[in-house]
Amino acid sequence: MLQLLKIEWLKVKNYRTFWILSALYLISIWGINYIVFAFQHKLYSNKDAGDVAKLFLGGPPFAFPKVWEMTAHVSSYLLFIAGLIMIISVTNEFSFKTHRQNIIDGVTRKEFIITKLICGLILAVASTVFVFLTAFYFGLIEQDSTLSFENMQYLFYFFLQALSYCWLAIFLALLFKRSGISIGVFFLYTVILENVIMLLLNYYTDTFGRYLPIQSSDELLPIPVLETVQGKISTNEVNTTLQLVLVCVYLAAWFFLSKRKFETDDL
Amino acid sequence: MDVLTLNGITKYYGKICALNNVSFSVPEGSVFGILGPNGSGKTTMLGIVMDILKPSAGSFLLLGKPSNENMRRHIGTLLETPNFYHYLSGEKNLRIAAEIKGKGLDQIDDVLHKVNLYNRKDSKFSTYSLGMKQRLAIAAALLGDPDVLVFDEPTNGLDPVGIAEIRELIKKLALDGKTIIMASHMLDEVEKVCTHVAILKMSILITAGKVDEVLVNEDIIEVGATNMNALELALNTLSGHSGIKKQQDFLQILFAKGTADLEKVNAHCFANGVVLTHLVVKKKSLETKFLELTNK
Repeated sequence: MLQLLKIEWLKVKNYRTFWILSALYLISIWGINYIVFAFQHKLYSNKDAGDVAKLFLGGPPFAFPKVWEMTAHVSSYLLFIAGLIMIISVTNEFSFKTHRQNIIDGVTRKEFIITKLICGLILAVASTVFVFLTAFYFGLIEQDSTLSFENMQYLFYFFLQALSYCWLAIFLALLFKRSGISIGVFFLYTVILENVIMLLLNYYTDTFGRYLPIQSSDELLPIPVLETVQGKISTNEVNTTLQLVLVCVYLAAWFFLSKRKFETDDL
Repeated sequence: MDVLTLNGITKYYGKICALNNVSFSVPEGSVFGILGPNGSGKTTMLGIVMDILKPSAGSFLLLGKPSNENMRRHIGTLLETPNFYHYLSGEKNLRIAAEIKGKGLDQIDDVLHKVNLYNRKDSKFSTYSLGMKQRLAIAAALLGDPDVLVFDEPTNGLDPVGIAEIRELIKKLALDGKTIIMASHMLDEVEKVCTHVAILKMSILITAGKVDEVLVNEDIIEVGATNMNALELALNTLSGHSGIKKQQDFLQILFAKGTADLEKVNAHCFANGVVLTHLVVKKKSLETKFLELTNK
């Protein structure tokens, strides 16, 4: 397996698109948190508005331990970039026909697809580590905040969501084989279509929308402010265990569907 | 031992039949040509052997055993088009191929020299001309010094000098005792370098065997005279030939390979009162032979 990952490393080592996208992705994770941080900072530092904010939103969201939850939630809006990187990694092979050459040269179909899925796993871990560092940083610079590792489970939820994005992206890339259509479908589905379906489902069935593939992990990372207000308007508590099980079921589905597709297709 | 044995390989793409019950064997040490027009199923067949396509029916053996990835590492293969990472240099692409094969890392410079690509080894693959891409693919196939080489249209996109070089290379590899399986739609290529041939047409295997048995050539003597009718009459009494064909301005006398004797024909005609104005030996072109075979 290490040899296969080494080969994968040789593929990306000199691939400028990968490094530019990855760098921008990481900078943006820090950046999007900074935007929210700067905004709330302004809000809370204003005497009158700050009091109102505290009343409705609770304590400053970037103070420990809430910062873990806050940063994980805010960063999750950028996960489609992680998916994009995985789509490019897979569709490049199709457009260069190097997936064929890799098999011809002696990689098995199973090894090839599992290596790609593990790359998705590595990207999800790297994203989570970076989110940890970002949260750590903002937690430290927030005034009136004392270091605490409580509520770290939100980083794990973030990791699960990152993995969901990456593996769904790989599956779609295998399904469509071309980068344009894969990226289009992936973006529209994760950003717009699933939310539309969710709203429709919620309208007709009350809560079924939360069981959709990406939404099921979204539910684990709710907006960590306004809890008091949310508690009043929403009657349905999210069952964390159920959502965790669902996320794992979807992950297993992307894993085995991708594997089966690549193992049985004409390449 | 046979390097490759196909047993009733059949492949459908939807309703289209790309290979229909194809069976033959490639003996060790042969240069085996797979000859057929475009779309006859050559690449599909090699793709199945390399596990990138799944056969609809039939099976095959590599070196007498069911194939696996380890066998593919010992076969150098160029299939259809040169498949490389466009953003990487030629050398880095070969490095990936060598890492996958698990051998040949120390031969990268060597194979680049063999295909005359060494001075461009640091250029990106995307900047290569078609011929250079093709040569890089051949270089990749040579990595690790495999005993079996599979070349699908190896001279595709090469200029005449490049074609000659690659043919020389293939002949040299054959002399080294390597088995070479080569798909081609070019007959003279197969005739010049192959010892065995299989001919495919529209998904069906027409014939397979040694080149000099399958592509038996006939000698043709073309004759002409002022009085063609008299010539025809005179030739009726000629012996030793296998047939006479009427052409526009000449008559063609067919002989088994190596038995055409101009002197004898000339003497026979003169003795029968016909003076020839045209007398020439023509080798039957492979092209004609190929068309005959595939039009059956």
